[in-house]
Amino acid sequence: MNKNRTTCLVLTLLTLVTLVAAVSGPGKEIRFAVPQSWPKPKYDFKNNRLSLEGFELGRALFYDPLLSSDSSISCASCHLSFTAFTHADHKLSHGIEGLRGTRNSPVLINLAWNTSFMWDGGVNNLEVQAINPLTSPVEMNSKLPELIAKLSRSVKYRKLFFKAFGDSLITTQKLLKSLAQFTGNLVSCNSKYDSVMRREPGVRFSDRELEGYKIFKSNCETCHKEPLFTNFAFENIGLAGDSILKDTGRMKITNNPEDSLKFKVPTLRNIEYSAPYFHDGRVNKLKEVIDHYTSGIVQSPTLAKQLERKIILSGEQKKDLVAFLKTLTDKSFLYNMQFRQAISF
Amino acid sequence: MKGMSVLLLLISVLFWGFAAEGKLTRPANGLKLIFKPVFRGGSLCLHTQAYIDFHGDTLYVDALRFYISSIMLKSKDGGNYKKIPGYHLIDAEDSTTESIRITGVDEGTYTAIRFQIGVDSLTNVSGALDGDLDPAKGMYWAWNTGYIHAKLEGHAKVCPTLHQEFEFHIGGYLPPYQTIRSVELDLGTLKIRANGESVLTLHCDVSKWLAETDLAKTNSVLIPGRQAMKLADNYKEMFSVCTIY
Repeated sequence: MNKNRTTCLVLTLLTLVTLVAAVSGPGKEIRFAVPQSWPKPKYDFKNNRLSLEGFELGRALFYDPLLSSDSSISCASCHLSFTAFTHADHKLSHGIEGLRGTRNSPVLINLAWNTSFMWDGGVNNLEVQAINPLTSPVEMNSKLPELIAKLSRSVKYRKLFFKAFGDSLITTQKLLKSLAQFTGNLVSCNSKYDSVMRREPGVRFSDRELEGYKIFKSNCETCHKEPLFTNFAFENIGLAGDSILKDTGRMKITNNPEDSLKFKVPTLRNIEYSAPYFHDGRVNKLKEVIDHYTSGIVQSPTLAKQLERKIILSGEQKKDLVAFLKTLTDKSFLYNMQFRQAISF
Repeated sequence: MKGMSVLLLLISVLFWGFAAEGKLTRPANGLKLIFKPVFRGGSLCLHTQAYIDFHGDTLYVDALRFYISSIMLKSKDGGNYKKIPGYHLIDAEDSTTESIRITGVDEGTYTAIRFQIGVDSLTNVSGALDGDLDPAKGMYWAWNTGYIHAKLEGHAKVCPTLHQEFEFHIGGYLPPYQTIRSVELDLGTLKIRANGESVLTLHCDVSKWLAETDLAKTNSVLIPGRQAMKLADNYKEMFSVCTIY
């Protein structure tokens, strides 16, 4: 009788555990919020059911060096949250065993609006972008089947995948979709510029910032289009060619000589914190960036049309422009604890 | 008595076995489509079998993989094509991938089959996919995103490469270098019955893929472009009907 009772109890408990497990995953769906008066995002979370659990899984993966072949490098090694997810003080970043890449680590801001990824735009969808750093021999050097096997051996990840997808079977698709839930949610829309545009009470540009905004409007806005501060096009901005990397940019993807030396127009949001600048990180200061546009342009057949007319700015005007660019800093983005590595005790 | 029970047990096991068998091999209105890799009629044997191409060069094939999608059957009366969804990765290394089971085809007589070699452009921009389209299958370019429609690798003494290897990874979904190709084959008569599975075996002849390729000159095509277009035009000619029953 006693034995029977124990069996009964064990069975009931097992059923309960199964039931709880069944209802605990996947988590509640979250709607991706589009900031007021912004365009419709390119990435559609309709095909990647967004949930807190999915985001948390993506965040855990983003910060885990397990994703690299020798478990030494994570996504966050080259994309640090407090520098708008670029690699502070690194012109070019280094992957496993200190191997160097060929382009400056880009910021990860408002990626859901991007029409393509990487400096050359070779990647067509946010979800598959991560395959590049994961498998590049000079970055994380992983092979996808081995990485999936590695993650599948981890009890922690089997649990997290179950929570996110209602299934503990780990696949490439789920890995990539959860990473996209994290990176796609790195939205920066609360800079001083945004407050001014939203006419929030008590917030206005200083005289210097306002002057800078006017200069921006007449010289930079065609390519660095508001509110995302990029038109996602590819342009040759007249940087002097380099003899070592000989990077032809977009042409590597299209094989079209007309695309030679063109790179994707980057967003200017949080630019104050995302040095060094340009596709190869060749300059460190905002003033140097502006100096390039006024006096450093090198002529070549594919030079951006917008730069054929010389931009002339006085020293004071350059300071105004820098002041405006600094209004694109979004502290609530840079210091967002939800974007940092989760602390577990 | 003991013998009787053993016999009974045997009978029941056999019966159970037959029942299970019957369930597995009799899908209603089914078609089993087999892609059989060959080299000029003979079975394709990877790694060890030497073949001679149209140039007279000796070569070995190490890998043959390609996607089959948008399978359609032309019916005798209507002339309409019935599109069957799904993407199938055929891999000469794994014979289980060589047959595609299609169920739910309308009963009737069909006169032609059409399919695409490769993955359509919409699927190429659809993000992370699963199953045969899993990027981990090695048929995906990450740096210039898109599927490799077809892959042929091997080695030949005539190749002036490091290990005498040749590698053709053919992909590209953007104009002007779209390498997805459509194939249409005349079937004569293919009958799909109400109960039972018809079997259509197609040959994929690697010698035809290499028909116009001089391995001494063309041995490495790994990006979309003009050369990939030419090779795609060649592998389109690989397919022929072997048997129908």
